Amino acid sequence: MENQVKTSTENKEQQLKKLSKMTMIRSLLPIAGLIIIFLMFNALTNFRMMNNLPLVLSQVYVTMISATGVFFIMTMGGLDFSQGSILGIASIVVCMVSKTSIPLAIVAGVAAGAAIGAINGYFYVYRKIKSFIVTICTMFLFRGFIKYLTTNAPVAGSAMLINFDSTELKLACTLVVLIVGFILFRFTKFGTYLKAVGAGEKAAMFSGIRTDRMKFLIYTLAGAITGFAAFINVIKVGSVTSSGGNQLETQILIALVLGGMPISGGAKVRFENIIVGSLLYIVLNSGLTMMGFTTQMMQLIQGVVFLIFVAVFADRQSLQVIK
Amino acid sequence: MSEVRLQVKNLCKSFGITKAVQNVSFNVNKGEVHALIGENGSGKSTLTNMLTGIYSIGSGTFILDGKEIHPKNQVEANNEGVSIIVQELGTLSGLTVAENIFLGHEDQFVHMGIKNTNAMNKKATELLKQYGFDRIKAADIIDNYNFEDRKLVEIVKATYFNPKIVVIDETTTALSQEGREELYKHMNRIRESGNTVIFISHDLPEILDKSDTITILRDGVYIDTVKSKDVTEDDLKRLMVGREVTGDYYRADYGEKVSDEVVLSVKDVTVPGLIEDVSFDLHKGEILGFGGLSESGMHEIGKAIFGASYDRTGTVQLADGTQINDIPSAIKHSIAYTSKDRDNESVVLNQSIGDNICLPSLDSLANKLHLLSDKKLREFSNQFAKQMSVKMVNVNQFVSELSGGNKQKVVLARWIGKDSDIVVLDSPTRGIDIKVKQDIYQLMNQMRKNGKSIIMISEELMELIGMCDRIIIMKDGKISGELERDEAMDENSLITMMVYGGRNGESS
Repeated sequence: MENQVKTSTENKEQQLKKLSKMTMIRSLLPIAGLIIIFLMFNALTNFRMMNNLPLVLSQVYVTMISATGVFFIMTMGGLDFSQGSILGIASIVVCMVSKTSIPLAIVAGVAAGAAIGAINGYFYVYRKIKSFIVTICTMFLFRGFIKYLTTNAPVAGSAMLINFDSTELKLACTLVVLIVGFILFRFTKFGTYLKAVGAGEKAAMFSGIRTDRMKFLIYTLAGAITGFAAFINVIKVGSVTSSGGNQLETQILIALVLGGMPISGGAKVRFENIIVGSLLYIVLNSGLTMMGFTTQMMQLIQGVVFLIFVAVFADRQSLQVIK
Repeated sequence: MSEVRLQVKNLCKSFGITKAVQNVSFNVNKGEVHALIGENGSGKSTLTNMLTGIYSIGSGTFILDGKEIHPKNQVEANNEGVSIIVQELGTLSGLTVAENIFLGHEDQFVHMGIKNTNAMNKKATELLKQYGFDRIKAADIIDNYNFEDRKLVEIVKATYFNPKIVVIDETTTALSQEGREELYKHMNRIRESGNTVIFISHDLPEILDKSDTITILRDGVYIDTVKSKDVTEDDLKRLMVGREVTGDYYRADYGEKVSDEVVLSVKDVTVPGLIEDVSFDLHKGEILGFGGLSESGMHEIGKAIFGASYDRTGTVQLADGTQINDIPSAIKHSIAYTSKDRDNESVVLNQSIGDNICLPSLDSLANKLHLLSDKKLREFSNQFAKQMSVKMVNVNQFVSELSGGNKQKVVLARWIGKDSDIVVLDSPTRGIDIKVKQDIYQLMNQMRKNGKSIIMISEELMELIGMCDRIIIMKDGKISGELERDEAMDENSLITMMVYGGRNGESS
């Protein structure tokens, strides 16, 4: 009997050791991957990537900002496929309003994004439709709007916008969003509540969290953040075509998963997932471009990499809670 | 010496880190009623669930009439000659009585791919007649019948094919005296036909009266097998618990006066389909019990008080007149609730112990800028996890890795950390081993002495009798009776009230 008890505690310790080792590997793998892929592409392209770093990074800002909002959504176990369309619509709004006033254009972009986010939230929370169904619907709906608005010609912004196109400003905006997001997530009840909703919504409700209101607000917030990213997008591209913001949602999803985020959200998510993941995605993407792969070939490679990462990071115990 | 029917050999089963059954071996003979007893969590149900294919066998073997069996589901178990009447409702809603009886055995009525419903109903009608349950009609949807009749249908379902072993898992507590007599009759019939009944019950007098042989399990370990005629109730208790049962297991005091100060009053609360016009007061320092059958609506009362019921009418009001209508305001006003559905409603399974404990207290833990510090959270959760002696590696461990008893301790730690004044405990000791149970009873007693008020909703009559100042009995969504704390109270008076209703049980 004594022996049995002893072996059972030993087993338990071993199991826990194994578990924490797994967690370590999971959190280190994306960072190691980022470094390895970065070095690899540099070696393969004669350090062209290192030399073009500002150019490479210029692609990361929009993804990284929008990914912050989606990170919150995914933490509580939801998904959002409408981010590309949100970016497109918000960019068109920014372009249009920028002819009147640029500060107003930023506000209008945020408002447009928040409005679409609120529509997502309304149908998801109050009409009780699964989030991926709702957001796939709004993705098509607003892509239709974008195509309609850009039928004759791309929507161009004010010529003044180009003056804002500096690495410093874009970097500063990105940092502000990330830092505010990090503090909210890590050092206020907001983060714990989000993780609780993702890990067990009913129990979260019974702990006093107003889960419905929270979910609605998060979708609105994610829309607003992407609306803000639209400004960064517009100062870079100047005008919006019918494909404006196309596939942003996939980029974000791939980036977060590459960053080590469990696709079902919950307590195992880490804020670093956004940063590491976005960088990893952009390095992979630019690296493949620099090596001269065709777009089709790149999609194929991305698909394979994405699948491998999902397989590694999927938390199979809580997969059923994707909402 | 009677012949051996079933040999249980070196049986083990673990759930995660918890060892539910450890190396259990014993024999069951032909033509006997073999009782299996032990406290909750002692492994009785796990063992019989493995025998009947509900759980897979961890390791070890069942040898039935010399042949090793390992059923993968209940239908396979039936084909081997083993069937079970489960503790909960074992019939499926939306199907007819006949479909329920022949569930998994429809093939006998199928010709060329088409099921002959008439033949099935005819056979079922014949069976029901044989059993003397004529009033149950084979073609009716099972939902038309009440809990008791549905249990009778289960008896037919489990025994019509003359299985070699029938497991009856804590079925009697849910039945009225008449239903019990029916069941005893069929147990006898099975024994006389040379087959075997494995009988699980918490009612020791019933066990001594109805069974021939008794096997005792404790914490998943085999303790002993005894002949019913050789032992007394006290012997059994001692074997189950492993030591003399002292009066300190439950509360020891009697006749203590409860304060007149009302802390919570519930008026005309109705939740459609679940409870109807329920009114009562809760006093300071009182433990108020709710008892009844599982479907009596008593579980909904806890939710209604906590603001968690959907579509509730009536009022739940604190002493100062504050009305409680949703969960956040309940928590804000110092009401705590632990659900019967611990894994879904009480703890966030895939989150750390620390986060679980801090969750409702985050507002008070934050500084002026609404910021939280890791250190403070860790100290807070450590303090209350230690106070409740949660068995864990550290507070970062996920709750999903803990045993049922430890999960419950985490839930209690959370509400003690919140310093709640009104604590609603729904089935607080469900599936919890005896040591943790005792801890919980002692904690409740301590809280009562500190002036906290407790509502305990429980299906275990003994703990209601042992712990409560007052017990309200529910039947069909309404209050059917109320009993004051009394040393002379026994389970029978409660059962009568639960099953037949009526306020006549007022103890004097």
